[in-house]
Amino acid sequence: MEKLMEILREIDDTIDFEKETALIDGRILDSFGMITLVSELEDAFDIQIGASEMVPENFNSVQAMWEMVTRLKETG
Amino acid sequence: MAYHTGMYLFLFLPAVLLLYQAAPARHRWKVLLLAGYVFFYLVSGKLLLYLLGTTLFTHYIGLRLEALQSAGRGKKEQKRVLAFGICVLLAVLGYLKYYNFFAENLNKAVVHFGGGPLLAARHLLLPIGISFYTLQAIGYMADIYWKKIPAGQPLGKVALFLGFFPQIMEGPISMYGQTADQLWQGRDIRREDLSRGWLRIVWGLFKKMVVADRLYVLVQNVFSQHSRYSGVIVAVAAVAYTVQLYMEFSGCMDIVTGSARMFGVTLPENFRQPFVSRSAAEFWRRWHITLGVWLKTYVFYPVSASGLVKRWNRFARKHCGKYAARLGVSALALFPVWLCNGLWHGPRWSYIFYGMYYFVILLLEMAFEPVGEKIRTLLGLKADAWQIRAVQIFRTWLVVFTGELFFRADGLRTGIEMFRSIFRGFSLVPLWDGSLCMLGLDLADYLVVFAGCLAVGAAGFFKERQTDISVRLENTKLPVRWACYYALILAVVLFGAYGIGYQKVDLIYAGF
Repeated sequence: MEKLMEILREIDDTIDFEKETALIDGRILDSFGMITLVSELEDAFDIQIGASEMVPENFNSVQAMWEMVTRLKETG
Repeated sequence: MAYHTGMYLFLFLPAVLLLYQAAPARHRWKVLLLAGYVFFYLVSGKLLLYLLGTTLFTHYIGLRLEALQSAGRGKKEQKRVLAFGICVLLAVLGYLKYYNFFAENLNKAVVHFGGGPLLAARHLLLPIGISFYTLQAIGYMADIYWKKIPAGQPLGKVALFLGFFPQIMEGPISMYGQTADQLWQGRDIRREDLSRGWLRIVWGLFKKMVVADRLYVLVQNVFSQHSRYSGVIVAVAAVAYTVQLYMEFSGCMDIVTGSARMFGVTLPENFRQPFVSRSAAEFWRRWHITLGVWLKTYVFYPVSASGLVKRWNRFARKHCGKYAARLGVSALALFPVWLCNGLWHGPRWSYIFYGMYYFVILLLEMAFEPVGEKIRTLLGLKADAWQIRAVQIFRTWLVVFTGELFFRADGLRTGIEMFRSIFRGFSLVPLWDGSLCMLGLDLADYLVVFAGCLAVGAAGFFKERQTDISVRLENTKLPVRWACYYALILAVVLFGAYGIGYQKVDLIYAGF
């Protein structure tokens, strides 16, 4: 989880990621932030994030992102 | 039979409502499906076969994908089936919609280099709404591939999703998960749905018939004889066309959404007060929303998730910095989106230009964002200060009006000529010397248009503050409520631009 927080802070350190629960729906993180995040997550956790995973529900909060990362790591 | 005609509003829609309610709940989807096919046949005749073919093919591809998934076959094979499905649907759309455009331009190029014409023009009939139902069908296939839709969807449900009559002509382009279950349920017609539905329909008629169809006269006059006009008159025509298009398209969406609501079906919204947008990017999140969402889901994200974009992003962030990486990724992922957006509107260079115009504008907005931030900080203004908002909204209006000028002009060359003519002998005097009254509208027409825009603007203002006037009206006292309802109906009857002196205006987006 700490690794994920590090990546997020690197992308935008003005956002309070721990509290936000509508990062995409509230347009706090835009589509391009999401694309960058996808690349970073793939590198950091050795996973493949396809287009089907790029939905607001997976990126709205740190918890949601962590759940997606965990799921993708498990399914390989 | 368009949605604003008496035949639809007073005959077709009430008849379907009656049949729907009279049928047992488990058969109601059949009533809606049959109504969709009758509607389609009344507009496009035998071309109904295209919709039927698309439905069968889409369902078949869905079954194939599900079979591969349940047999545990690899992603590659599934991808091939999906690609085949998408290619076939796009080939049909491409042939019917773009063949003549392609043939004409290929012939021009060959003749230019000394050869003879290669392809003959063909008389091709375009089924109504093909651009809308094809996108929905592609979305369905992709959603099955991504496992967003549970396996085993019945053919009838897919057919109804693609052929729900209020959506056939102009959308909204919905995803399977948004409407299919609601359509399939066959729930009872409720009084609340009927009252909200008809009010939304009348509101849509008001926008179309009172404002849009009146402005059509001015727009048609200037755009069809553009060489006679220059300066502020052309600018007025561009603004008038933008307002006409908004009132017409959003008005039609109100009629469509209201019709669906009567059956208890909530369709996705296509507009959300686009003229308060502070950037072109925000404008497109508020204008033709369902097309934007479709392009984002099925073009932007798949392109963004492709190896090329990811590799560039990693490389650029390492070697060129965040700013360049962001711009590069944006350019790579947005180019196909805006090319598709332009092409989707039709086989004309001006539409392709329209798409590319927004592609460049969006990149420029992104590129100059840091400069804007610096200027704002220097001025000591907050990001939400009214001065900043006013400048940003006005800038967005200029971008939108210019884009719509090219969109409406009869060809790219005409668009460029008209745009340049705005700056030829520019003067504001024609705004008050009576020139505007020589464009087919008199002072009373302008007053009606102004009042109509004011009413729509006021409704939008409240909606922006999460207050839906129609819901508020339901909670007011009966006499007040009905006075408002009658006022709206009377406004359409008295001020609607129909009958002697006005031309019948077809729905613009039905042509796409």
